[in-house]
Amino acid sequence: MKDFLSKLLLPELLKGMGLTGSYLFRKKETVQYPEKRLEPQDRFRGMFGYSLERCIDCHLCAKACPIDIIFIRDHTEVEEVEGKDGKIKKKKTKVIDRYDIDVKRCMFCGLCEEACPTEPKSIWLTTLSYEGSTYERNEGLYFDKERLESWEGFKAFPGVPVPIDGQNPSDPLGEKLKAEMPEEGAA
Amino acid sequence: MMNGPERPLFDVEEMEISFGPQHPATHGVLRLQMKLDGERIVEAKPIIGYLHRGTEKLFETMTFPACIPHTDRLDYVNAAHNNQGFCITMEKLLGISIPPRAAYLRMILAELQRLASHLVWLATHAVDIGAITPFFYTFRERDEILDLFEEYCGARLTLNTMKIGGLPFELPEGWLDRCAKFVDAFPAHIDEYETLLTTNRIWKRRTVGVGVISPEDAINMGLTGPPLRGSGIEWDIRKVFPYDRYDEVEFDVPIGTNCDTYDRYLVRLEEMRQSIRILRQCLEKLPEGPIMAKAPKVLRSPEGMVYASVESPKGELGYFIVATEKGTTPYRCRVRPPSFVNLQALPQMVKGSLVADMMAVIGTLDIVLGEIDR
Amino acid sequence: MPEPILQLLLIPLIKIVVLLVVVLLIVAYLTYAERKILAYMQVRLGPNRVGPKGWLQPVADGLKLFVKEDLVPGGAEKLVFMIAPAIVMVPALVMFAVVPFGEPFKVAGISVTPYLADINIAILFILGVSSLGVFGIILGGWSSNNKFSLMGGLRSAAQMVSYEIPMGFAVASAVLMAGTLSMVGIVEAQRTAQWWFMFPGILGFGIYWVCGVAETNRNPFDLPEAEAELVAGFHTEYSGMKFALFYLAEYANMMIVSAMAVVLFCGGWLPPFPNLLAGLWALPVLAWIPGAFWFLAKMSFFLFCYIWFRGTFPRYRFDQLMNVGWKWLFPLSLANVMLVALGVLLLKG
Repeated sequence: MKDFLSKLLLPELLKGMGLTGSYLFRKKETVQYPEKRLEPQDRFRGMFGYSLERCIDCHLCAKACPIDIIFIRDHTEVEEVEGKDGKIKKKKTKVIDRYDIDVKRCMFCGLCEEACPTEPKSIWLTTLSYEGSTYERNEGLYFDKERLESWEGFKAFPGVPVPIDGQNPSDPLGEKLKAEMPEEGAA
Repeated sequence: MMNGPERPLFDVEEMEISFGPQHPATHGVLRLQMKLDGERIVEAKPIIGYLHRGTEKLFETMTFPACIPHTDRLDYVNAAHNNQGFCITMEKLLGISIPPRAAYLRMILAELQRLASHLVWLATHAVDIGAITPFFYTFRERDEILDLFEEYCGARLTLNTMKIGGLPFELPEGWLDRCAKFVDAFPAHIDEYETLLTTNRIWKRRTVGVGVISPEDAINMGLTGPPLRGSGIEWDIRKVFPYDRYDEVEFDVPIGTNCDTYDRYLVRLEEMRQSIRILRQCLEKLPEGPIMAKAPKVLRSPEGMVYASVESPKGELGYFIVATEKGTTPYRCRVRPPSFVNLQALPQMVKGSLVADMMAVIGTLDIVLGEIDR
Repeated sequence: MPEPILQLLLIPLIKIVVLLVVVLLIVAYLTYAERKILAYMQVRLGPNRVGPKGWLQPVADGLKLFVKEDLVPGGAEKLVFMIAPAIVMVPALVMFAVVPFGEPFKVAGISVTPYLADINIAILFILGVSSLGVFGIILGGWSSNNKFSLMGGLRSAAQMVSYEIPMGFAVASAVLMAGTLSMVGIVEAQRTAQWWFMFPGILGFGIYWVCGVAETNRNPFDLPEAEAELVAGFHTEYSGMKFALFYLAEYANMMIVSAMAVVLFCGGWLPPFPNLLAGLWALPVLAWIPGAFWFLAKMSFFLFCYIWFRGTFPRYRFDQLMNVGWKWLFPLSLANVMLVALGVLLLKG
């Protein structure tokens, strides 16, 4: 009889409905993306940073890369300098002609950063930027050394104002932008 | 009248239907060639290979450390175990023993990953059977786990979080507290899922007695993981061939009795609870010390063949590596993916059942196509 | 303008237009409500981009479906494929003709009834017309020349046919209590009885509600469009406005089932607890609330339940659905009819 009643009255189904019903009034987890952005953690592996100054042209990053997307070409410049003892010495310096990263194929494993011997690293992925979409298929995500160095983060989706309270993770120059923004608004 | 064999008044024909690879419930790109008699499945034949990327061949061209990011992409909801399996195999080959702190951290990461993987399984399994809400609840918890991963190693899905000989990073500050907080909060969430599903009569009807595979068949087919344990066989790599420091923690291996989908569901839920138990012990016992064993910068292998396996959430995940003398790349690497082996039980499990049961069975096998096709 | 023309043509025409607009508006916003409520149950926000709080989402959806390319699959039976959505949609709208949304009132001396027709066989009319819709589903599934669609259509046919029987019996129990087949008459009977039929006929109400959910192919009985198995069931191949018709018809049917539940078991436009709280409802503060408000409020509750079910339950398997229908609901509804008949005989006879 009790069995029959519980079959008829569906207690466990009502319990489940109670749970979903109670969720109606709980806090929602959604983050409204373009207006609010989640802050990546400090170690977040995102877009590349690169410093030509620090780079010693050792090619270790290119060797470490599992998918060979780092392309380096360099040449040696021979300079004749006068040594301390007055003799003329030949000084060889390596000059990087090209340092390209094909970011569209990158899998952000961080092995290049790990392999880099300089301190601080001359290539790093912790730029805290994850907004990597572009409108061009090929050039948009192919970075040469100039773009890698001068890159200031991808621009936010058109029409969506970039938050200026420093919470835009794609902008490593947050402070600078903050200073510029009011002028733009005034103009 | 036509000549030929006599035909019945109503032409009875089996309907052939190609299920997938772009079907919403095939967990990726699985294709099933089915013969249906009405709603009843006469024959189902899985056809795989739509996600083949040649990972094993790629390994042969890559230095040992460079292989690890590629292992992430085998079972992409379960990257930590793939890393762990490869690293353990390599350590066995090179004769490196990792420091205890690294081993415990690996276990913490692996068990968190097990929770995340089981949550994805529960979400998709429930959606396949028609309950859409658990999906969002489980993904909410999974997101917390992924946040922990992101904080630790900088990635959320394809972690690349282990190195041959240990771990690449020391823990960030406060990570253990946040992990402990999550571990304390999580069992309440499991109860939530249970409220929605375990006692629900519709859920029970859809899973009890569906996709039965006998213990003998399970062993003969080489099933591992929850599909094997659901059939009542106590087999867990963590228990029988302990790796890292699994011999120092206490946990139970849950097993089922009825060999059906519902039992496998219960087994996995209990496994989540056991993972919490392991996590608690690991957080308590976590020793201080280095996180990397002394390993040469450029790894050169001795000649040899080595196989080692870990208990991934899907079953036994093994790596078999053939190495040449002083080689920097594997000569040959073969992955033993649990999903691939478990999938072969599918035709037998669904034979004679209804189309709707197919969904329950695909869900209960917890297949990931990245791992099957490699 | 002579009086008869006004009475016979103009008022009904206005009523038809108003009814269609209101029903389609409710249906459109029902889709919005469903998405929003489901989202809230699932710790997310749901549509919130189009207009304030996403209020214009149904408009955007409609516009999108309207301008979409109208595709007919290569191997489809073209004519049948085209008319199937109409076959589903028309009965769904026609049924609203007999639903009494409120009590008659007077505007500028003309008595207006907030329903199109009060025919004395309204219940039969609804039961009859509602079973026409299934033809559209079968034809749509068959003509698509898609195996998934065909299976969806077949499932739907079997499901609707087998659940119509217990549903009919459950409705019959209410009809027995009221002693009339007119929808208005049933509400009036509940006013005289001072009780909603829900309380004496709780079993019938439960059966009616389960069957109603099954009749409209909604979770947990949404097999014909079980996306995990049959992609989208009978409307897999449909797109654009034809898909929209199927979609709207489903929601219109939900409304009809809810409206029937309100009329048959929950006292139609009567305020809640007419006997216990009669004094309260007579208060001038509350007395002005029109009957239509109560009707719509009750209907909204039932529609909310639909969405609530969808947010909570998994889906039955096809054979289990038949089991529930034939082994549980059918005998129970039969027993219920006998019980109610006995009760009516003893009390009234």
